[in-house]
Amino acid sequence: MAKIKLENVVKSFGAYQVVHGANLEIEDGEFTVFVGPSGCGKSTLLRMIAGLEDISAGTISIGGKVVNDTEPSDRGIAMVFQSYALYPHMTVRRNLSFGLEMNGNPKADTARRVALAANILQINELMGRRPAQLSGGQRQRVAIGRAIVREPQVFLFDEPLSNLDAELRVQMRVEISKLHKQLGTTMIYVTHDQTEAMTLADKIVVLRAGHIEQVGAPLDLYDDPANQFVAGFVGSPKMNFLKAEVVEKTPDGAVVALSSDRNVRFAFQLSAQIGLGATVTLGIRPEHFAPPGGGDADLTVAVEVAEHLGNTSYVHASLAGETVVIEQPENRHGGARRHLTVGVPTSRVFLFDQTGNRLR
Amino acid sequence: MKSKSRSLLVQKIALHMVLTPLAIVWLFPLWMMVVFSTMPDHGIFSPEIVLWPSAEFAANFRNLQADTNFIRAMSISITVAIIYTTLSVMLTSMAGWALARYRFAGRAIVVAIILGTITLPFAVVVIPQFIMVAREFRLANTWIALIVPPLFNSLGVLFMRQAFSMMPGELFDAARVEGVREWRIFLHIALPLARPTMAALAIILFLSSWNNYLWPLLINSRPNMMTAPVALGTLIGLTRVSWGGIMVGAVLLTAPVLVVFVFLQRHFIAGISAGAVK
Amino acid sequence: MLSRNRAAYAFLAPYLLIFVTFWLWPIINSLLISFQNTRVNPWRFSLSANWGRLFGDPAFYNALYNTLIILVIQVPVMIALATVMAVLLDSPLLKARPLYRFAFFAPVVVGEVAYAAVFRLMFSADFGIINKLITSVGLSPVSWFDNANAAMALVIIAITWRWAGYNAIILLAGLQSIPDDVYEAATLDRVSKFQQFLHITLPLLKPIISFCVVLSVIGTMQLFTEPFLITNRGGPGGGTETLGLLLYRQGFTSLNFGYASAIAYTIAGLAVAISLLNLMLGGEKK
Repeated sequence: MAKIKLENVVKSFGAYQVVHGANLEIEDGEFTVFVGPSGCGKSTLLRMIAGLEDISAGTISIGGKVVNDTEPSDRGIAMVFQSYALYPHMTVRRNLSFGLEMNGNPKADTARRVALAANILQINELMGRRPAQLSGGQRQRVAIGRAIVREPQVFLFDEPLSNLDAELRVQMRVEISKLHKQLGTTMIYVTHDQTEAMTLADKIVVLRAGHIEQVGAPLDLYDDPANQFVAGFVGSPKMNFLKAEVVEKTPDGAVVALSSDRNVRFAFQLSAQIGLGATVTLGIRPEHFAPPGGGDADLTVAVEVAEHLGNTSYVHASLAGETVVIEQPENRHGGARRHLTVGVPTSRVFLFDQTGNRLR
Repeated sequence: MKSKSRSLLVQKIALHMVLTPLAIVWLFPLWMMVVFSTMPDHGIFSPEIVLWPSAEFAANFRNLQADTNFIRAMSISITVAIIYTTLSVMLTSMAGWALARYRFAGRAIVVAIILGTITLPFAVVVIPQFIMVAREFRLANTWIALIVPPLFNSLGVLFMRQAFSMMPGELFDAARVEGVREWRIFLHIALPLARPTMAALAIILFLSSWNNYLWPLLINSRPNMMTAPVALGTLIGLTRVSWGGIMVGAVLLTAPVLVVFVFLQRHFIAGISAGAVK
Repeated sequence: MLSRNRAAYAFLAPYLLIFVTFWLWPIINSLLISFQNTRVNPWRFSLSANWGRLFGDPAFYNALYNTLIILVIQVPVMIALATVMAVLLDSPLLKARPLYRFAFFAPVVVGEVAYAAVFRLMFSADFGIINKLITSVGLSPVSWFDNANAAMALVIIAITWRWAGYNAIILLAGLQSIPDDVYEAATLDRVSKFQQFLHITLPLLKPIISFCVVLSVIGTMQLFTEPFLITNRGGPGGGTETLGLLLYRQGFTSLNFGYASAIAYTIAGLAVAISLLNLMLGGEKK
């Protein structure tokens, strides 16, 4: 059992608090991704779980045991670092065996574990080399191998793919996913890349400025973001946000008009109370626009740039100073258009108040 | 293009015309050291100008050995320099490691005190050091007196601290997660990676010990515990002394470090320039 | 994490013990001793025995004067020479670079005693090679050891020979840390080589020159071996007696530790003051 539980975990450096009372439960065998912009506290949180940072307040338990005062090595964890942190003066083989060796693990068992890890990661032919003689992807494998030989209850990954080029990143992402299926061990993975989070995670933890903003399965976060921050963070390209105003109150909700084009109106059913004239933000994902007439309102925007990806294209357009990105099926015969009209289905529109809380 | 290559040639010639005489002047004392060491005493004090070595080196060496037991003094110097260098590299790299890689209470104060006092001249401590070692501990004319007090040198601490703090911290975190104990992290990961820095430091420390004059002069003045520079220094200024012998001593003091310098120039220069270019 | 801090203290402790015993405590103790009359037994507190005496002691003023003269003449000459060496050694046009480097850097490893002996012999009045060379071109020989001015010049020449290369090494490292593209940009702007040196190299090198000056000031303030061995214990007649030498005579010939400590603190105080002054003047333009 390697269930992980964080209760009111706080981290402060002197007077400066970087994690403000995090509460989180991670199930055994779950692949959890901490995601958020840089400085959100995700790495700090991971390092606290690893035992590399002191916990200022609260408790962390692994497998039902509080580990606040447990040394990193006694927590049953293994960690893969952003810089790989391979020992530059040791061969790959020694990199894998070093930790076990230093802890007096029986030689035969060490050899068995090293061979196993080398097989899993297909790095057998690299065993005699030093880190400097390896490519980025190979280093990454060795770093993961070093974690595997520890046979940990929990794997911790701290932005492990951020030093790789785009192609390798996709490849390693798949391999890490496979590894998780193969080993079935609890894994916690930190990244600032929401694509990595979406593709890898069973459970995503979105962090901002030391607060956990939302915890959930990738698609839940996509479909049902808790607030404007999560809505904007999950999904690529990002969700469009348009300023709007409450122009009419209805018995079960309100009618909202775009600030940039007051003729574009949406009627929402709302449970929350909202005053007439209140400023709100509408959110709609680029992929959720409909053909003209296909939604509840039509929106006409001025095209600035179109990015053609072959199967689809992203139109960057402006609407009275606000930028809108619209996903369109690729149209090879249409030529460049100056204006574009799309339909907006109300069911696809999110509504946020001024502080970013979700209203709908 | 032609005028460009001509002006380059002129520059090149001018450069060598300035540097060559300067280099000759600079090499002259070293050359004369060798020349003197091979000349008989009556040759040194003759009115002729001699710029080429003679053949009396061995005779001069015998004179030197008769004036002072230079072989013993050399062996004391070598032993002291080796032990001092080893101990000092050990102590300063441990301290540098602690100051670079741990956030413990009092670290800032220790660093501040080291930085604040590093530029003080040795003159300011020589009296109390002498009183302490010679009078209170009664350690004059001992190996300990030669080796231990100079270990205070804090340049090495800063030098090693710099090297350790440049290393990526994740390396040591990785080892910690693997359950490697702190002293083993130091021994098996940090030190091997700091080898070039340690080499530079060791060369500088060895040289400073080998050439150290004032402290050994004060503390080990008994002839059987003199270091080579002190032994040679006692001869300078004596009236009835073999100057050829003194020059042999100077050559014997200089030649080993010059050889080290030539072969390990890179480390040596790294050591000297480390303080300035951060 | 506690155990990790314990490890830190364990790593630091051995060095710290030595540092406190042989550096920090002596620094404090030196000040305390300077306020003691150490010519009575037991030592007694006395302000006049050392500090009072210091400011009326002609020997102190003589040593201070000599030290400052050496400082004012030798340090600028040496730093200028070292800068020239460094800049020329850095030139891509230079052939046989290792040879030149050896010539200028070798003195750095030569011990004080060895080079003092050579200089003493080279400059000896009657049979010294220098005077032989001087007379061979028709000039009259210089009595390097009997004339106070000549003796001072000799000390200055000797120190410059020994330390110019050392400073050149530091300056050369500084030069090499200036990126090439700065010079390339200047060349494209039709800035001449000399103007580049004046307006690019020197300003960028200034902090390092400052560092060299500070090191030299500290070294000169406690100058001892050269006047002790080359000019025969500060001769002629105290003409090359420096503060370092006075400290040695008072402390270890007369065994007047209190007075020597007062001199030591004066040396340290002056070194710190001059260094700070230099840093302030150097930092002004930033």
